[in-house]
Amino acid sequence: MNAKHRLVAAGVSLVCLTVPAIAHHGFDTEYDAKKKVALTGVVTKIEWTNPHMHIYIDVADAGGKMTNWNMEMASPNTVQRQGWGRNTLLPGDKVAFQGYGGKVVESHGALSRIAKADTPDKPLFIQGGPEASREGFPGQP
Amino acid sequence: MRNRLVTAATALGVAALLVQPQAQAPQEAERVRQIPAGRPGPITTDPKIVNLPVPRMHDGKPDLTGPWVGGGSDADIEREGGLKPGELPLLPWARDLRATREKATYEEPYIYCLPMSVPRVNPYPWKFSMSYTSKGLTSIYLLHEAGDAGAHRVVYMDGRKHPVDPVPTWWGHSIGSWSGDTLVIDTIGYNDKFWLDARGTPHTEQMHTIERWTRVNNGTLVDEFTLDDPGAYARPVQLKFTAQLAAPGIDLMEYICTENNQLGIAGGYRLNSDGKLEQK
Repeated sequence: MNAKHRLVAAGVSLVCLTVPAIAHHGFDTEYDAKKKVALTGVVTKIEWTNPHMHIYIDVADAGGKMTNWNMEMASPNTVQRQGWGRNTLLPGDKVAFQGYGGKVVESHGALSRIAKADTPDKPLFIQGGPEASREGFPGQP
Repeated sequence: MRNRLVTAATALGVAALLVQPQAQAPQEAERVRQIPAGRPGPITTDPKIVNLPVPRMHDGKPDLTGPWVGGGSDADIEREGGLKPGELPLLPWARDLRATREKATYEEPYIYCLPMSVPRVNPYPWKFSMSYTSKGLTSIYLLHEAGDAGAHRVVYMDGRKHPVDPVPTWWGHSIGSWSGDTLVIDTIGYNDKFWLDARGTPHTEQMHTIERWTRVNNGTLVDEFTLDDPGAYARPVQLKFTAQLAAPGIDLMEYICTENNQLGIAGGYRLNSDGKLEQK
């Protein structure tokens, strides 16, 4: 994590983020709850794969150095039940995202929130459990 | 792990509440807190639907199909089964093994896409598939959405007995019968490879389980569960799990666990050619 990332992470730590639950394996097996990040970048790839989806995002630091972040999500089934489809997010989309870095490979993280950069207050995905608070069919507002 | 899209502020607030650990005794609960069980899947919560009468099959038997959410162990069988910390009568060696596994969650077979077996239920929907043939209800299949649960589990309902000396398997050998409206599933022949929860609660090939599944209303399915394993437990244990009917519209979807399991990369560990774990 470079200096800029550390500063961003420190800022985000003030936000009441929740540690995402990875149903297939425990969060703390892979990720570090102390490595909170909040970054912006450009989506390069979306893997609709099991057991969990992965979104790859190019993030430039202050010096222009590019890092491709690999952010783990929930299973494709869970994400579809939130209302996602194949075209909800596409390579080339600019996004603002939050999450937690990997214990060893920091840029291999767990995604907790992602939104398109021009609508940062309308998250496409929030990991942590809001679905359980709502009744009815998932994906509906 | 189940999420929905709501406003950021609301979602984060709700999420914060949802991930708060349940009130538990302090010591063992500390470890469990580090093993997220995953959010429960979407369930039917409307009391008008939940409290409807139990639907029945054409032969009068309760329709146990579901799909259901929950109804088993996942993070901690002791707590989720209704016991207090320390009440699970593990033999000393088994208690020691669980303590070792608690420090090595990356060794859990389940996270390598192996079956979770009985009585574990992950946060994904599952169902009893009641298979009627010309001879009646001859078998019931348990289907779990998550592929790491294994392809299927079969419960023979045709009156057969257990084999005398079965080869141990992940799901064991299950025979079912009705006791009134309760489905009773008796299983032996388990292997000892799976963990009963993410803590690593162990068992042996001597494990014998009896599940008593009762659909108490339209939206609730209760499992009165007997765990008898003289190899690992000082006495038989009685546990209770409750499953809830999945939300309307929810059904099992495809899930192929081994497709792209990146486990170990972020955490810096991997299986070497000898099948043993190496950590960076």
